[in-house]
Amino acid sequence: MHSVTGVDPHLDIETYDPSADLMVLNLGPQHPSTHGVFRVKLYLDGEIIIKAVPYAGYLHRGVEKLCEELTFVQIIPIVDKNDYVSPMMNEQAIAMACEAMLGIEVPPRALYLRTIFAELQRLASHLLWLGTFGMDLGGALGGGATLFMYCFRERETILGLFEEVTGCRFHYNTHAVGGNRHDITPKFSCDTKTTLEVIEKRLEEYVQIFSSNRIYRARTQGIGVLDGDLANSLGITGPLARASGVDHDLRRDAPYHIYGELDVKVFTESAGDCFARTLVRLNEMYESIRIVREIIDSVPEGPILGMKPGKSPGHIKIDASQGYSCIESPRGELGTYIIGGGKSRGASAYRLKIRSPSLHAASCIPYLFPGHTVSDAVAILGTLDPIMGEVDR
Amino acid sequence: MAVDESQRTYEHPLYQHVERMPGVSVALGSIDQLLTWGSANSLWIFPMATSCCGIEFMAAAASGVDLDRMGSIPRGTPRQCDVMVVAGTITVKMAPRVKKLWEQMPEPKWCVAMGSCAISGDFYRDIYSVIPGIDTFVPVDVYVPGCPPNPEALMHGLLLLQEKIRMVREGTLTREEVRPESPPNLNRPAIGRLQDPERDPLTDEEQTDSAAGLGFGDNLNLAQIRRPRPEPELRPQVDAEPRPQVDAEPRPQVDAELRPQVDAEPQPEVDADEESAP
Amino acid sequence: MTRDEAQQRFVALLQERFGVEEIPDDNYPLIDAKHHFELARVLREEFGYRIYSFVVASHYLEKVDAKNDNAVIDIEHYEVATGIRCVGAPAHLASWRVRVELDQSIPTLFPLFAGADWQEREQYDLVGVRFDEHPDLRRLMMPEDWEGHPLRKDYAIETACPPWR
Ligand code: SF4
Repeated sequence: MHSVTGVDPHLDIETYDPSADLMVLNLGPQHPSTHGVFRVKLYLDGEIIIKAVPYAGYLHRGVEKLCEELTFVQIIPIVDKNDYVSPMMNEQAIAMACEAMLGIEVPPRALYLRTIFAELQRLASHLLWLGTFGMDLGGALGGGATLFMYCFRERETILGLFEEVTGCRFHYNTHAVGGNRHDITPKFSCDTKTTLEVIEKRLEEYVQIFSSNRIYRARTQGIGVLDGDLANSLGITGPLARASGVDHDLRRDAPYHIYGELDVKVFTESAGDCFARTLVRLNEMYESIRIVREIIDSVPEGPILGMKPGKSPGHIKIDASQGYSCIESPRGELGTYIIGGGKSRGASAYRLKIRSPSLHAASCIPYLFPGHTVSDAVAILGTLDPIMGEVDR
Repeated sequence: MAVDESQRTYEHPLYQHVERMPGVSVALGSIDQLLTWGSANSLWIFPMATSCCGIEFMAAAASGVDLDRMGSIPRGTPRQCDVMVVAGTITVKMAPRVKKLWEQMPEPKWCVAMGSCAISGDFYRDIYSVIPGIDTFVPVDVYVPGCPPNPEALMHGLLLLQEKIRMVREGTLTREEVRPESPPNLNRPAIGRLQDPERDPLTDEEQTDSAAGLGFGDNLNLAQIRRPRPEPELRPQVDAEPRPQVDAEPRPQVDAELRPQVDAEPQPEVDADEESAP
Repeated sequence: MTRDEAQQRFVALLQERFGVEEIPDDNYPLIDAKHHFELARVLREEFGYRIYSFVVASHYLEKVDAKNDNAVIDIEHYEVATGIRCVGAPAHLASWRVRVELDQSIPTLFPLFAGADWQEREQYDLVGVRFDEHPDLRRLMMPEDWEGHPLRKDYAIETACPPWR
């Protein structure tokens, strides 16, 4: 079908060699390597996967329905919980969608804050991925939990920065329609610079762990090759697509916040395997550090909220228009499609859809798994980095 | 489905037979202490980590807080574990699996509900696909509130669980375990929705006012809202909940170092000063 | 090419080849259901829109005019919005809407975009729109034996699911 590898995701298992002695193995929904609750049914011939059927929905919390009931002011802390590894991004996506539809101007200081938060969050999110991926690969990266411990140590420092600004370790609720709620202090920029310095130094260590470890290379190079065309047609964006040679990054191609003034470097790899995905993410971490360093000192003075705060939760009204806007989250294009409630119910959306990059990423599993062994499946699932809260919403 | 509480046992049935043998009980006294110490300080955790709280659970297991030093090691399988920590939202699709995993754990076992989602369903409470609290189908021993609870809060929850285990084994748990039947209007939130006809307009006002005070910058008269702040505390407030009544008996020495210094906080010396002043 | 130019090109395409007369300012253009697949094919093959972005189905209840003796303004129907995007700058998003009657279905985009597989399954599951010739139209989020489609407007948010709640 679509795949250059000739994998048919809807393979009829009856027609595949009826005399074969196939085994069915359930990976999940409670499996430590699925990073949440996700189930993949594997049909095995010996140890080789013939067909993989993913089942999602074990964390379907009905966020879209809830967003139809609540007002635009109230949903911001709720969408926080979708991609719980990078909550800042969820808030920004919703706030930006409302602003774009209402034509609200966001003050420049708030734009700078959003960019800084977004890049720090990207760094934290990739660190978490690195740690858990190290744990998935077990012994390949120096004994199970070592890398996990290292990465969480670094991630905690970033969460500490956010906690100082917003009062929360995550689920910040710091973005509002029209700007931000919490302002940064001179101390914040000081702390950020020190933190970034430490992280940058330690990142080098991790890169060495990756690049010079033969077991690690053997387990990732040539494993789970995702073709660039297939990635596009599946709607996969972000680091996954860039590791397959798709030169596409919304920060550069459709700039929002203040990315238009910055020169965002986009890293691509052509191999498309697990190792390439690792490299792209590591490079993105360095790039995030660079961007934050570049702008942290030039944050302009001024207000951080461009809109008068309303007296009631229903003070933001969108009439029957429709609109879509998106940002580049650590996992790709995170968008929000809003249909306004019209004249009578304008304070809440008629329909709100969250376009989640993780759902698209997870949908390539039927294409990638066949032909690999079960242990490779764990490595592939680790590099896809789907966040279940976002897959199921 | 309620679990029959009277069926839960905390020790092996053979133990009671051995105890009845003449002369054994003297020796068993100290063995019993040893066992109590052992079972309270080696709580292996089965992380039922479904969503955001699961990330906080990972942070608790990682280097910052480090649950391992309390003897609580997270394991990926229910069969080796003593405590199930339910961290995250449980949906209708997931609930049968959670129940099955709980049943696979060997006795004695305990359950910790971490986060508002596991406790009550949080704001997903009245959504069609979310279970309003896991205590509707598994017995919960410790509730750790928060959205998400800090790693320190989870640690405090586990310390409370240790406390409970100790008291149960020593027979000093005098309070009845409260396991309220689900109230009939379980699916209704306490505060009405915006569209709810019964919603009190005063609630509306209060909520918006408190939301407006959260930092809308220059646009509000902040002096009206801001109250004098207390001096910042150095330690995070892990001990904000009421603690169960602990008896005055000295505990085994071992756990004295492991427990945070909750009880040892100096009493405010105001009274003494006032008495001595005149 | 800038984004505005790409948008103009898209509008010109709609007007010349697909007979769309008015393009609303605050809304995506509404096209006829029979052009749905063809438009996606042309955009993908001739203009290089290769990234499958989203599909959003929404459900509209019957609308009546309360002042005018409850005369029916609009009957119950679905609307399906689709968006596809071109690779690299200017990352223009081509998006359009299709009106689908309650008893109708809409052709799947799976032969063009593999991502339509899961996305359309999700919309079928949550809203109830049927997609023609979809290879595997099962529920994605809810359990297989679930009744109803949760995101429809006539579905109450607190619908109970015994024995769990
Ligand atoms: S309590 Fe809050 S943080 Fe925890 S799982 Fe629920 S929504 Fe997420």
